This record gives sequence, structure tokens and C-alpha cells, in this order.
Amino acid sequence: MTELLAQSAWLIPCYPLMGMLLSIFWFPSITRRTGPRPAGYVNLIMTFIAFGHGVLAFPAVWHHASINLEATWLEVAGLKLTLPIEISALTIGAIILVTGLNFLSQFYAVGYLEMDWGWARFFSLLALFEAGMCALVLCNSLFFSYVILEMLTLGTYLLVGFWFNQSLVVTGARDAFLTKRIGDLFLLMGVLALYPLTGTWNFTELAQWAQTAQVDPKLITLVGLALLAGPMGKCAQFPLHLWLDEAMEGPIPSTILRNSVVVATGAWLLVKLEPVLALSPTVMNAAIAIGAVSAVGGTLISIAQIDTKRALSYLVTAYMGLTFIAVGTGQTQAALLLCLTHAMAMGLLVMGTGSIILNNITQDLTQLGGLWSRRPISGLSVAIGGLALVALPPLGGFWALLKLADGLWTTRPVLVAIVLLVNALAAFSVTRTFGSIFAGNRQQMSERSPENIWTITVPMTLLLGFTLHLPIILESLSLLPNWAVLNKDVALLLTWSSIFGISISGVLYIGQSVPRPIQLPWKPLQDLFAYDFYTPRLYRSSVVGGVDLISRVTDWIDRYLVDGLVNFVGIASIFGGETLKYGNSGQTQFYALTITGGAIALIAILLAFL
Amino acid sequence: MDINNFPWLTTIILLPMLAALVVPFIPDTDGKTVRWFALAIGLIDFSLISYAFYTQYDFANPGMQLVERYTWVEALDLNWSVGADGLSMPLIILTGFITTLAMLASWPVTLKPKLFYCLMLIMYGGQIGVFAVQDMLLFFLFWELELIPIYLLLSIWGGKKRLYAATKFILYTAGGSLFILVAALAMAFYGDTVTFDMRSLIAKDYALNFQLWIYAAFLIAYAVKLPIFPLHTWLPDAHGEATAPVHMLLAGILLKMGGYALIRMNVEMLPDAHVYFAPILLILGIVNIIYAALTSFAQRNLKRKIAYSSISHMGFVLIGIASFTDLGLSGAMLQMISHGLIGASLFFLVGATYDRTHTLILDEMGGVGKQMPKIFAMFTTCSLASLALPGMSGFVAELMVFVGFSNSEAYSQTFKIIVVFLAAVGVILTPIYLLSMLREIFYGPENKELTSHEKLIDAEPREVFIIACLVIPIVGIGFYPKMITQIYDSKTLEITARLQDALPTLAEKRIVAEPMATIPLTAPVIESSR
Repeated sequence: MTELLAQSAWLIPCYPLMGMLLSIFWFPSITRRTGPRPAGYVNLIMTFIAFGHGVLAFPAVWHHASINLEATWLEVAGLKLTLPIEISALTIGAIILVTGLNFLSQFYAVGYLEMDWGWARFFSLLALFEAGMCALVLCNSLFFSYVILEMLTLGTYLLVGFWFNQSLVVTGARDAFLTKRIGDLFLLMGVLALYPLTGTWNFTELAQWAQTAQVDPKLITLVGLALLAGPMGKCAQFPLHLWLDEAMEGPIPSTILRNSVVVATGAWLLVKLEPVLALSPTVMNAAIAIGAVSAVGGTLISIAQIDTKRALSYLVTAYMGLTFIAVGTGQTQAALLLCLTHAMAMGLLVMGTGSIILNNITQDLTQLGGLWSRRPISGLSVAIGGLALVALPPLGGFWALLKLADGLWTTRPVLVAIVLLVNALAAFSVTRTFGSIFAGNRQQMSERSPENIWTITVPMTLLLGFTLHLPIILESLSLLPNWAVLNKDVALLLTWSSIFGISISGVLYIGQSVPRPIQLPWKPLQDLFAYDFYTPRLYRSSVVGGVDLISRVTDWIDRYLVDGLVNFVGIASIFGGETLKYGNSGQTQFYALTITGGAIALIAILLAFL
Repeated sequence: MDINNFPWLTTIILLPMLAALVVPFIPDTDGKTVRWFALAIGLIDFSLISYAFYTQYDFANPGMQLVERYTWVEALDLNWSVGADGLSMPLIILTGFITTLAMLASWPVTLKPKLFYCLMLIMYGGQIGVFAVQDMLLFFLFWELELIPIYLLLSIWGGKKRLYAATKFILYTAGGSLFILVAALAMAFYGDTVTFDMRSLIAKDYALNFQLWIYAAFLIAYAVKLPIFPLHTWLPDAHGEATAPVHMLLAGILLKMGGYALIRMNVEMLPDAHVYFAPILLILGIVNIIYAALTSFAQRNLKRKIAYSSISHMGFVLIGIASFTDLGLSGAMLQMISHGLIGASLFFLVGATYDRTHTLILDEMGGVGKQMPKIFAMFTTCSLASLALPGMSGFVAELMVFVGFSNSEAYSQTFKIIVVFLAAVGVILTPIYLLSMLREIFYGPENKELTSHEKLIDAEPREVFIIACLVIPIVGIGFYPKMITQIYDSKTLEITARLQDALPTLAEKRIVAEPMATIPLTAPVIESSR
């Protein structure tokens, strides 16, 4: 039975797609009588079926060789278009994570969007996300991965633009699409350029090819950099990180997914492409550099945000930066583990803070406070989410960061320092978020705050449970390192860095020893972080401004030079006609003179040519 | 009646034209009968097209099929000669499809409905005629014939500056078509035999010098139509003033005539000159893509914005034509078909939006998405198709052009990289202006000034139906491009083989390295079995 389920795992992306199609029936313009809610329930059921399928199929693939299916899309003489599907423990595991988190956030959305009229649209978009991600992990082809990533870009655009009448949403949706599209286009260039070299887009065959490949180093560097650009956009890495922050204007249930699993699609692609990227040391170093800048920058910016969701979103950038470092140093296992633990912890953090935001109406950290006694469940979720994110044993994040730092320990000690720094800063940031919401004195906005209805609290506590159990799950899958060979120095350093970050932040934000708002002594530096290194402004003045200016110039040229010439010819002919009509004097001699003059001129011109 | 010898194409061309003559005699005061009549004729003709090609046309045969030939004016050697091959057949189907939908889209026309539908029906036949005729003189006749209805449609039903736009359109295109006549005559009288038949003209062997001159003349004529920078300025004016149905024809079909004629005459008849002109076409294509995209971004008038986006998309057709690969040429064909569908749908939606907001200036719109969710959704879908989202036809077409061009052996590596990069810049610019446009129309808080005095009603079923008809093939081609490429790929293969013979470097290689296996003409090439 499980064997059959594993064989048919390719059905999993079809469930959410079916849910998506079914939701159409409950669009307000089609069905009015029932209201849009059934669309949500249908999708919830479909997601649960997908989740169940994944869980039941898992035992059949665990410790087994992967099942490779080839769906021949079309086959004509000379052309074979196949969609390779890989069903392995890794892909099914990723599907379980994706569908599980999807189920929980859809559950969450039932409560969160209680009053909204756009259920059908929202749930069908969540289903699109889910189907896209499941298809991405299953498909083993670079080209189809690219196509799916573009679909996910579209999903992001539509989800961020869900509440399209708010002005910030508008720019957020557009910027999300554009930044990701730029990354995607570079990726497409890389995908196309890779094909003549390899003759295949199958990841497995690409890896085999990379082992023995002899390629022009300059060419493969260019291709590798182009391939890197796609994940950069997806994972919101510097300098394409802008969109994630603006995407926070979308509804929270979609944010849960975006922050936890959708960004990780970029990391997934990166892991798959690692053998190809490794052909060029420059590309690997670029990945490390981008990751390091994003990780350190992201955490620093996160600490300076006063918006809860944005504080979390920059942490996502930072953690994805760590996966870039992991892939850049060839540690794909660590990268995947990091994605897993980060997804669980970040999902929990967003759920917990979202539950506060929903009924306190504000997401401004400076206006909240003192909620611990009234919101213990949400408080516990945020706390555990934060602790599971950073390296604090025995929770999940510790093991992932340990694996990463352990792999870097002997080869790249500098990077270990960066990981420690990022971890300490991240610990500082999550503690700050927790402290600002739950500790301290109550403020006007946090005076009244009951726990939410069960549809929000239940998925949150479920995820809380899963996050707490993650180390046990990892243990049972024997993904945890052996105690005997555990690098105790790294483990201790990581733990200490977390404790260091948490305690300083705890003194500042929970202990209330320093009057709020807490600011850096030097205002410009604080602003630099608070305004995201002024990236939006930099973009506005350089790229956006440049395109705007050039487009105005071309418009001017088009209107006054190209079209102006055309109009000039028209006006000149009218003018010529108007002037010449006075020549119609009726005197024969005058006509004769004109003809003679014209003839002489013509002959002169002809002679001049000859 | 013998079904195999039935004059299918002649019937298809003449039926709407004859029907147009009947229109003035239909007793009708408010234009409601006449529109049903026009729609019925459109549907009948479209089903005739589908039936004829389905039963009588062999997709694997690259040659001319459904051929008919009658002597018309013997003294002039003018023959009524029609036929269809892989180049014209998809475009004839597209014409029938879009024009029929345009009939349905012209439901709201209340001014002089009889004249309007009469002209639309003449257009129907005239457009198909351009694609179907196989005689140069006849081609010229049809080319001129469809200008007159468009001129009238523009100058009677257009916007505020309609007379300026219509005059500019007729002067530009009629001026351009003079070059067709001159070149056609020159070709006909070249050599020993005098003939206007396209097949015989292809078979003639022209001197290179002669070819270059003729090529340049044709290029000017078709550059006006396609349009190619710097001969494009009639288009934003004409498109900016036309009503929605005329718009659909202009963008959906008339632009394709330029591309069709470029392939039919410049590439097929003058392959040696094409080798010299191809780099120029490439550069013009790049200029088209980037220049028009940038100009589109700066437009504040919705129709002009979309008009420039059409120009930008036509740049890909040029790159595909100049690529010397069957994949590129096939991509150029697909880009024409795909843009025919996407352009028509976008222009129809612009018209639908205008019917409600009564303004085309983007600054006066804003936040209308809340009151018109269906139009919002359809507009978003079509914009996404236009910006080449995977899963839509535009993506497949542009991808084929990209892959085809980068596989081309006719250009140096550096040149190819530069061209592909610049074209990609254009592809990045497309979402910039389209998404900004969507934002300015639909997103954001409602524009109180607009909503207070305009009644914004959502799309009616007729409009949803039209868009659905257009979007289904767009998505269909996007997911299964082979569906459409297979009906013309034998023809593009044949043309490319001829072209590659003309290309000196490639021709030598072919002799040395055995018949170079032509890269299989593919849908978005995923894996070649080799």
C-alpha cells in the first residue's frame, strides 16, 4: 500500500490544484448564496489529503533508493519532452513540510480572514503556492524548476496584492514581482546557456556531467552567476532583498508560508544546482559573499525595525543568507537542514505574532507591551519559535547551525565567526521582538487582548508542538550527529553566542532597565539600519529614476524627433501647396518660364551626376 | 458537389465581402439585426476556414495547398490565384478567429451601424485575401484594399484626433505599399519570363545586387506595417484613436501582415539578400524592443501605452526572422500568432475599461478594481500573458526566439550574447510598464473624482466570453505549444533549409559535415532525444 502511495506521489501537487479549480465556484460573482467560505474548506480538505498522502508514502521511500519517473509530455520525431520526477525520502520529506505548513496556515486563515470577502481568491492562491512548491521539489529538471519558480513569482504578486485598495500593497506587489522577475530572467539566461554545454536539464545528469566536465572557466562563471541570480531573488538576498520587506503588506496566513517555505524554494534550487555551481570557485565565493552580507545585514536591519512583520522578514533574509553560505561551501545537507528548522521556527514566530496583530490591530512594536499575562499561548509560541530559530539546544535551530558551523570549523574559520555573529544578532532580534510585545508595561493598544478563536490558536499550538518535537523527529531519522564525534567547541560557542544575544536583549527589552525607545547612540547609524541601508531610496534614485528618465527621453525623441519629422513632412507639403497655389496666375508666359526653369534645373542636376 | 475541388479559399475570401454588399439592404433601424447578421457571417466563415483546413489540408506537407488559379485579366497577366501553406494557414485561422470576435466586440457601436458592419465584413475578406493570395499583383490589390475600410473606420468611429490619425495611417501605409508595387514589377519583369506568380518568382534566380535593392524596397513597405522603428509613428496615433473592435483588428491582424510578408517575400524570395540584411533586422529588432518598451513606460494614455507595447513585441518577430534557425523562425511565427491573441485581448479590455471610465488618461483612473473585479482579473491575466509569464503563449514564443537565436551558427558568440542580453533588458522592461499600468488603473484607493460621476459596471457576459475565447488558446499554447507549432513547422523547416543554403559559411559546413542534422523544430525545447 505504501509502495503504491510512493509510486503515485506525483499526484500530490494535483490535489491542491484541484482545490484551486474548485474554489472558482465560490467566487463572489459566481456563487452568492453560500458565501465564499466553502472554498476555504475544500482547499483545507485537499491540502490535508496531500499531507496525508505524503506522510503515508514516506515509510516506503525512507532508506530506499529514489523512484525516478519520467512523464513524457510529448514525443514527436526528433523531440522528446520529458518531465522527470524524483520521489525520494528528501523530496517526500520536503512535501510533508510544505503541505503540513500549508494545512496549518490555511487553518489559520480560516480564523484570520473571518471577515474577508476574498476567500475564494485567497485560498486558490494559497493552493497555487502549495501546488507549485510540491511540484518544484518533485520535478528533477532545471527548466521546469524555472517555470515553476516563475509561477510562484506570480503567486507572490497576486497574494501580496490581495488587499489591492491599500496604497502600500500596490508597490509591494509590483516590487515583489519585478525583483523576482529580474532574478528569474537571469536564471533563464543561465538555464538556456547551460543547455548547449550539458545537453540535459535533468539535475541528476547535470551532477554527473559536472563531475567530469571540462569547460571554459570564464563561461561557466558567467553561467553560474546567472544561475545564482534566480535563487538570490527568491531568497531575498542582498541586493534583491527589497521585496520581502514590502511583501509584508499581504495577509498574515500567506506571510507564514512565504517566510517559512516559499523563500526556501530558492535555496532548494541552489542545493540542486550545487554541483554545477561548484565548477567555478568564483561563483561559490560569490554565493558565500552574498550570503554573508545578507546574513549580517539582515539581522542588523531586523533589530532596527519597529514593525513586527518586517523585523521577522529581515531575519528570513539573514537565515537564507546562511543557506547561501552553506551551499557556497558545499554543505548541501546543512543547507537543507537549516531550511527545515528555519521553516518550522519562522512559521511559528509569524503565527504567534500574527495572533497578536489580529486583535491588537497594530503591528508597531513600540505600541505593544505587557501582553504575557493575557496572551500566554501566543507568548509561548513566539518564545519557542524564537528559541528554535537560534542555536539553543536542544531545539531544532541548534542542530542545523551546528552542522553548518562544524563543517566550516577547519576550513573556513572566518565564516564560523560570521555564523556566530549572525546567531547572536538573531537571538538579540527575536528576544527584542518577544520583549517588546510581551514584557514591560501595557500600552494603549495592548490594554485589551484576549486569545483568539480556536481556528487561530489550534494551528498555532499544533505547530508549537511540532517545533518542540523537531529534535526527536530528527533523531528518529538519524539526522542528528553522533554524540561521540560532536564538535564540543562549536556547540559551546554557538550556545554561548545565543545566550549572549538573548541575555543582552533580555536586559534591554524584558528587564526594562533602559528607558524606551532604545536607540543607538549615533542616530545616522540607527537610521541606516531602520531604513534598510537606504536600499529603497537607492533603487528609487538609481534604477527606477534611471528607467524613468530614459523613458521620458525616448518618449520626447519619439514625439518630437521621429514623429516630428513625419509631421514636418506633412506640414511642409501643405505649406508648399498653399504657397504654390499663388503661382496659378493664368498667364501662359509665366507657366512657360516655370517649365523652362524647371527643365534647366533638372538637366543641371543630371549633368552634375554624370 | 465534389468536395475536393470546391474553391474553399475563394469562398472564404468572397463570402464576407459579398455579405457586406447585402448589409445596406437589411431592414434595420437600430443596428440590432445587422450586428447579428455580421456575427453570423463571421461565424459561418470561420467554420468554413476550420472545416477546409481540417479536412483538406495536410500539415506535414510544406507546399502550397488548396490552390486555385483562374485567369482574371489576361492582358495584365493578372491571375486570381490563392493557396495556403504553413505560413499563411495559421494566420488565416487567426484572422477568422479575431475578426469574428471583433464583430462580437462591436456590440456597443451605435453610430451608423450598417456602414460599420459593412466595413468590418470587407475587412474580414480583405485580410484573409492578403494572407491567401499567391499572385503579387493581387497581393498588392488586397494590401491596398484593407487600407480603405480601416481609414473609414478610424475617421468615423475614432477618438478626438481621429482625422489626423486616419490620414497619417493612410499616407504612411499607402506610401509604403508603393514600394511593394515597384518591387513586384521589377521582380516580375526580371529575367526571361514575365510572371506575377509567387511560386515562379521564388524559383527565379536573381542577381545579388538586384536582390538587395528589392529587399530594401520590401523592407520599407513592411517596416511601416509591422512596424519597425523609425517608421512606427503612425501606429500609436492610429491605435490611440481607434475603437475597440478596430483596435483588435489593427493589433491582432494588420501588424501580422508585415511579419508575414517579410517572411513570404524577403526571406523566401530573396534569401541571398537576407543574409546581408539579417544583422540589420536584428539591430532593428533590438531597437524596437527596448525603444518601444521605454516609450511605452512614459505614456500617460492607456491606448498609446499598449500600442507601444505591440511595437516592442514585434521586435521578437524580427529577431526570429533573422536567426537563420527553424526554431527562431518558428518562434517568430508563434510570436505573431500569440501577439495576435494577446494584443487583441488587451486592446479589447482597454476598450471595455474606456466604456466605463470614459477616460484613457492613467492619472484620472485609480482604484477601479474594487468595482470591476472581473475586468480587473481579465486585465491582469492578459497583462501577465503579454509580459511572457511561463504557461502563456508569449513566453513560449519569446523562449523559442531566444533559443533559436542563441543556437544560430550565423553569428559570432559575442554578438549573440549582446543581442540576447539587450532583448532580455526589453523583457525586464515589459513587466515594469505593464504592472505600473495595472497599478494605476486598478490598485490603490478609489479615485473619488472618477467614481463619483462614472458608473463603473463590471464586465457583462459577452465581454467575459470574448476574453475567455482569447485566453483559452493563449494558455493552451503556453502549456502545449506543439499544438500550434506542428501545423506549420514543415514549412518553417523548408524555409530555413533554403536560407542556410544561402548562408555561405553554413553551406560549406553542410557539405563537409554531412547534411547537418537540423535541430528538431521544437516546442519549448526541453530535451532533444539526441
